[in-house]
Amino acid sequence: MENHQSEDTHIKPCEYDPNVNQDELIMAQEKQIAEEIKANTSMIGSLQGLGSLAKEYSNDPVYSSKVRTLLPKFSNVRRTRPDGNCFLRGFIFAYLEYCIHHRDELTRFKKYLEGSKEELFEMGFPKFTTEDFHDMFMEVVNDLEGSGSVGRVEAVCNDAGTSDYLVVYLRLLISAHLQKNAEFFSFFIEGGRTVEEFCKQEVEPMYRECDHLHIVALTAAIGVGVRVMYLDRGEGAAVVSHDFPEDKEPIIHLLYRPGHYDILYKA
Amino acid sequence: MGPEGTCFECGVFPAKLIFPPDYPLSPPKMQFTCEMFHPNIYSDGRVCISILHAPGDDPMGYETSAERWSPVQSVEKILLSVVSMLAEPNDESSANVDAAKMWRDDREQFNKIAERLVRKTLNLPYP
Repeated sequence: MENHQSEDTHIKPCEYDPNVNQDELIMAQEKQIAEEIKANTSMIGSLQGLGSLAKEYSNDPVYSSKVRTLLPKFSNVRRTRPDGNCFLRGFIFAYLEYCIHHRDELTRFKKYLEGSKEELFEMGFPKFTTEDFHDMFMEVVNDLEGSGSVGRVEAVCNDAGTSDYLVVYLRLLISAHLQKNAEFFSFFIEGGRTVEEFCKQEVEPMYRECDHLHIVALTAAIGVGVRVMYLDRGEGAAVVSHDFPEDKEPIIHLLYRPGHYDILYKA
Repeated sequence: MGPEGTCFECGVFPAKLIFPPDYPLSPPKMQFTCEMFHPNIYSDGRVCISILHAPGDDPMGYETSAERWSPVQSVEKILLSVVSMLAEPNDESSANVDAAKMWRDDREQFNKIAERLVRKTLNLPYP
């Protein structure tokens, strides 16, 4: 009998409490999950052999056979934190790392960055705040010009204060490119939104995931070729790849799994 | 400052802004520290307008066109939005249901309460 009672007090039906804002509870839980991811995953992970990927899917016939097709082409992978910024963080890490080994590209990128500020101002981005993000980016590029090493890029991209500022500025560049070419991009935007609304909701805020449109805009704006390898449950044994922009030789390789991007290294 | 030509005109309403560790990536919170009666302000003073929320976290289901937080927004922009909120409450997404109802159905009574709050902030005698 006693046993019964204690069980009753343990299993309470899920009651709806009208005094508690359910949306706020959901937001609090989402925040907690984000905090856990933050605590457990670095923004840019260390270099791993591609074998780690194969191991992850040893019990999954579809994925493991697809990963096998990647093995001869790619040697290593770097994992990024899944916080909605993974594409941008992976992109800028891989690009700056490339620039370390290709100094003329770093010079070109610096020149592009310098000019981009005025362009953003002209498009109506608020001067006072935009400048902050721009200046931080310039500082990073100037620093790499002087004492650039892959270790330095790793440190910069894993320092929250710096890394997040780079991501914000990339978001502004994407937004500017989409809005400058609004007539063209408006055909690809879902939900009856204008290009400007799309940028305010899906591009400029942090932690919003990048989609095709973001990638098209960023690679076109900076003029950098990116190849994305799509690892999913789609038909066929091969991993489908796509180049952004289509006519440019890719210098960055990213691995896409539904909802997430990591960095790949060619064998 | 309550905006001119509205029921909150001349009022000086103190409020605090609370900045998160990852500001400006995430927005600050704003809370009035004086008594307020307004459709978009909770009874504990917390301000509920779209610019204080990033898209995605959506306690009030704001319209898609509403101004949202992004890292290039500024404190100045927030204050401007709050002043315009005082002038034009949004009774579609109300944080204070009583205030929203009164704003809609009994504007005279709403104005009376607002006037009392204004006088209170100015240390003037109020009914």
